Amino acid sequence: MNSLEFRLAWRSLGRNPRRTGLTLAATSFAMMLVVNMTGLSNGSHEEMVENGVRMASGHLSLMAPDHLEERTLEQPLAWTQSLRTHLESVPDIKGFAPRMDAFALVSHEESAQGMLIRGSDPTRENTVSEIEDRLTTGRFLRQGESREIVLGQKGAQTLGVELGDQVLLYGMAYSLESAYELFTVVGLVRFPDAELERTLAFISLEDAQAFFVYADRVTEVAILAEDSYQVEDLQNRLTQTLSDGDLRVHTWQEVVPELDQIIAIDKGGMYLILLLLTVVVGFGILNTILMAVLERKREFGILLALGLKPSKIFKVVYLESLLLAGVGIVIGLAISIPMVLYLQAHPIPITGNAAEGISQLNIEVSITSKFRASNPIRSTLIMMGVAVVAAFYPALKASRGQPIDVVQNA
Amino acid sequence: MSNYLKVVIILLLGSAQPSLALASLRPASPGMSATQIANRAEESLRGDQTVIQAQMTVRSPRLTQPRMIEFTSWDDRLGKRSFTRMEAPAKDKGTGFLKVHPNLWMYIPRVERTVRIPPSMMLQSWMGSDLTNDDLVRESSQTDDYDHRLLGIEDTVKNHPDREAYVVEYIPHEDTPVVWGKIIAWIDTERDVTLRQEFYDEDDVLIRTMQYQEIQPVEKRWVSHLWILTPEQKEGHETQVRIKRIEFDAEIDDTVFTKRNLKKGLR
Repeated sequence: MNSLEFRLAWRSLGRNPRRTGLTLAATSFAMMLVVNMTGLSNGSHEEMVENGVRMASGHLSLMAPDHLEERTLEQPLAWTQSLRTHLESVPDIKGFAPRMDAFALVSHEESAQGMLIRGSDPTRENTVSEIEDRLTTGRFLRQGESREIVLGQKGAQTLGVELGDQVLLYGMAYSLESAYELFTVVGLVRFPDAELERTLAFISLEDAQAFFVYADRVTEVAILAEDSYQVEDLQNRLTQTLSDGDLRVHTWQEVVPELDQIIAIDKGGMYLILLLLTVVVGFGILNTILMAVLERKREFGILLALGLKPSKIFKVVYLESLLLAGVGIVIGLAISIPMVLYLQAHPIPITGNAAEGISQLNIEVSITSKFRASNPIRSTLIMMGVAVVAAFYPALKASRGQPIDVVQNA
Repeated sequence: MSNYLKVVIILLLGSAQPSLALASLRPASPGMSATQIANRAEESLRGDQTVIQAQMTVRSPRLTQPRMIEFTSWDDRLGKRSFTRMEAPAKDKGTGFLKVHPNLWMYIPRVERTVRIPPSMMLQSWMGSDLTNDDLVRESSQTDDYDHRLLGIEDTVKNHPDREAYVVEYIPHEDTPVVWGKIIAWIDTERDVTLRQEFYDEDDVLIRTMQYQEIQPVEKRWVSHLWILTPEQKEGHETQVRIKRIEFDAEIDDTVFTKRNLKKGLR
């Protein structure tokens, strides 16, 4: 590294600190932007996934075959002790909850609302949906208590009920009998999704199985993975170990494709902005180096006159740009990674009107970031690539000078 | 002759009905309009005030034994109101449905609660059968809410080989909140009674078929005493309604169509 070219490049960077400083600032700033943007977008996507997924299916969902397409009580899943023990034994599973989802009319006096009734195991539901954190008043269902119901805040508003009121559930049991029962409202919850908050209600799994005459079966088991990036791996492992034919393991992308699509669209937008940003940075580097080269025409002319080969001059200029980009990237990383980590640890909540608007899009109301090693590595590679391409023309230009012209014109 | 050829010939004759490309369909001679035919069919099924006592049998792959339901229904066609009281099974005995246009209430005596059934529930199953709440209350009138088009006359109807029928297409008015994309009905040319109905969704997919069997005369009308409803996409499902008693032009007291009556349960 201590070659002539390297020393020349290093010295000429030091010769004009203002020029070098500006380019460095541009590069490191761009790097910061790229790393932070990707971090923020990863963060918001993961929050969207986490929220959507926790309320919907979990990262993974166990269902009977065809249940994903049909979504009726006709495809029951046996909720057995052996299945429970198995799920408990699998590493990387953060939580799992059996659910029995069915439709019923919930009514109170003159108002009524069709709702999705979720029969959930009071001891297990929280491990997937963290429903207790969403309570605004009252409490969640309790093991051993029966005929209790937890409603969404908006659902309760539609019905005009408060804590302690009784609501009537009316529906059709699996046995095609009419099913009706009074339930006492014990808790109200908030969801990021307004529609969900109006139409989702929780009763205990035992109550649901009795109400809908469903024996000890469920419609699905929601599973939360320790890390959302492991979902596919976990799916493969579960599929292999649970492959007894009457069970399917679906990822959340299969169960809630809408969420996946929203994220895909959002990511597409982000990549477009990143692409534009990269092009701008590329031109910035090109510009500074080209200006630097033009400024130093005389210098290169003399060097050529002294007998330095044009290929060496090309190398010197190229090295200069790569050094600039390299140092800029390192500075950018040094500033942005702590920022990403900080936002990951301390999400900024959004409040007020903005929050109200966003909550209708089923997006969690906070600004947060997520650090993934792949993000800065990829950004570094891209920025280096940009520098490699952008420096080519100025380097070529410098090596092509004619000593006699430059000395005369100077 | 291949089906393709048949279709071509029908097309050439200018009377193509893709869903009914049947050789036996012939154009009706001008006389009665489609709407007149539809009106007469409706009148043969419902008097101004009608009382029906019926037994419903629901079959489903879920059930080892068919589910039996009994009810009596009072219908005031002109007042757009009706009242239905369940008599069996024991669990549902006394449960009542009161429709006073445009509301539908249900009363469950066991929990002593009245429920107003919202419009969004109209397509839900009624009492576990393949009938919907909409069928029960006839929220949509088949004569008022539909345009009628006479497709032709069929010499023989699938479920009544010896009867000749008008084939009438019912297409809902655009602004009516009707459940179906279209209904095709076979209406007996002599007896005015509906023999068969096919219900299609908006994409012209056949959703269910109603066959009217056991047609016998009652008070100068021909009345089907056995309705068989078969949903197309649900294998093994079938709902039969057997009419045990039907009384046209009954004098029904106004007090029948009240919430007070609803809450009486079975006296």
